[in-house]
Amino acid sequence: MAIRWIALRIIQEIIRDRRTMAFFLLVPIVVMTLIYYALLEDEKAKLGVVTRGVARFYEYPLVSVIEEDEDIEIVSLDIPDKETDPAELDRLIMEEMKKGKAHGILYMDQQLLSERFAGERGAIHIYLEGSRPTSTAAIFSSIAEAMDDLTETMPVVIDAECSAKCANSVNIKAIEIKKHYLYGSEDYRLIDYFLPVFPTFFVFFFTFIISTITFQRERVRGTLERLLIAPVSFSQIILGYISGFIIFSSVQALIIIGYILALIQISFTPHQLFALGVTLFLIMIVALTMGLLASFMAMNEFQAIQFIPLVILPQIFLSDMIWRIESFPLVFQWISYGLPLTHANIISRKVMLQNQSLWENWPQLLSLGGFFLFFMLVMSLVALKRNKNN
Amino acid sequence: MLKIEGLTKRFGKLTAIDNLNLNIPEGLKFGLLGPNGSGKTTLLRMITGLIEPTHGKITLFGKWTPTSRMIRRRVGYMPQQTAVYPGLTVSENIRFFGRIYGLSGRPLEDRLNDILELVELGDKKKEVLSNLSGGMVRRVLLATALIHNPPLLILDEPTAGVDPVLRLKFWDWVDLLVKQGVSIIITTHHISEAERSDQVVFLREGKIIQQGKPFDIMKRFQANNLEAAFVRSTNLK
Repeated sequence: MAIRWIALRIIQEIIRDRRTMAFFLLVPIVVMTLIYYALLEDEKAKLGVVTRGVARFYEYPLVSVIEEDEDIEIVSLDIPDKETDPAELDRLIMEEMKKGKAHGILYMDQQLLSERFAGERGAIHIYLEGSRPTSTAAIFSSIAEAMDDLTETMPVVIDAECSAKCANSVNIKAIEIKKHYLYGSEDYRLIDYFLPVFPTFFVFFFTFIISTITFQRERVRGTLERLLIAPVSFSQIILGYISGFIIFSSVQALIIIGYILALIQISFTPHQLFALGVTLFLIMIVALTMGLLASFMAMNEFQAIQFIPLVILPQIFLSDMIWRIESFPLVFQWISYGLPLTHANIISRKVMLQNQSLWENWPQLLSLGGFFLFFMLVMSLVALKRNKNN
Repeated sequence: MLKIEGLTKRFGKLTAIDNLNLNIPEGLKFGLLGPNGSGKTTLLRMITGLIEPTHGKITLFGKWTPTSRMIRRRVGYMPQQTAVYPGLTVSENIRFFGRIYGLSGRPLEDRLNDILELVELGDKKKEVLSNLSGGMVRRVLLATALIHNPPLLILDEPTAGVDPVLRLKFWDWVDLLVKQGVSIIITTHHISEAERSDQVVFLREGKIIQQGKPFDIMKRFQANNLEAAFVRSTNLK
């Protein structure tokens, strides 16, 4: 009988707490949707093709083969057809990848044919953006596969002078693939792509949880009320919280960065580490204000805890941390820009993997600052409303 | 010192304080008495500026609003909850509230020692609160409300859940503070203990039903204690 009454009491309490009911019923649907799209991963690596001279004749058959690959999307580039200077082409190709138009660009010119005629292997050039290992791997494997077909369609005799005698003697040497990386190198591993976003995630995750719980405790035991009636402003309380957390978040960030530096196989400059430090500071104060806001909006500790998965899970799935945001429907891509971790991850990767300066990422820095001010403003409004109504 | 005019507070359809008028002079022990839900805490929360009235005006030390910093410095508030930090020691808790109210250095340390002596916790000052009894924590709470030497002390149910010996001690401390020139507003639902107040107000459903000196009220209702007077007054209303 006791079991029955305890169960009944639990059911009554949960039914009366609408937010808990919504949590139980809606959050699994949201999370399953995110998992579904995350694992569906139908994003394709973007490949551009540039051919010059007689190599243009081989562009169509080559592209036709590559297009059959489901992981590759052929994209058009803004490189003038008349441009033939190799140095200028090299610059334009890199420029296109910097703009994000392609993850890789295949380049072939008449030299390939000349070398084949001379009985040499000949070479094609693959320019790789390099910061996304999965795209790099997809492009490389697709081109390598297409090369077999290309070699077959290039029955070049070794010696033109003995064409009669040597009619069947063709150059069957494998075409050489020369790789040029915009970022990273051949040694760059998949894990190196993920490691730079771990510090931002862990700092966000722990700061949010600790600030939510700490502030909720402050509210429940009544000490927040005592601070609110003391001669201190609300912003002083928040800044005091931030200052208190900075020490622990900084120590945590240092441990995480140190550990990641030991794991990652890329060397970093002091500037890169400084930029990562600034990013971690920004995401920490944003997580702190989000945690305080969540705590402020919750009526009790149970509701405060419910904010943790509600805030953390979408950031794991939609912040481009592990799963590519491009593989999600457009609406989720829009949502992702409303998540602070997305912006912090963009900065971390660009700074750590593409060696960009911090200030080149000013839109993301501005966004993080904006998030901080926005959450502060909302929190002040919620506090003001509480003050009027409670 | 405190003037309340036409004060009303509504929470949705519930009227917690209903058109209340009150004038509390300086230097008194003023008891706000009433059963649970009579509006005592709501009234105190409006006086301290924690919540805004729906209507009406509160004048504290001649100022229109209790939310100004100058006013806040002059008010000490001991809430019903044990609103202190259980992870800090006795002196760390008191020192924290002292600093929040702008004290520092020697004056803070001197005041801390005085307060510890008053609440008889000098030998426990290095103890973490989570190791102390409920009664001791209530004393720390009182000390944190007194650290900045406020001329007005608001005590919300200070003796709730406190043993009879400590309850008497609380009232002794209140007497001592009044002698030192502190004005005190105290709420309690242990009505009989408020006989030690200089003046009392009986609150019921957000309205004042009786007001005056405890002895006068007892006399008015021919009761030999304040609790009996309260019961009789509610029967009349």
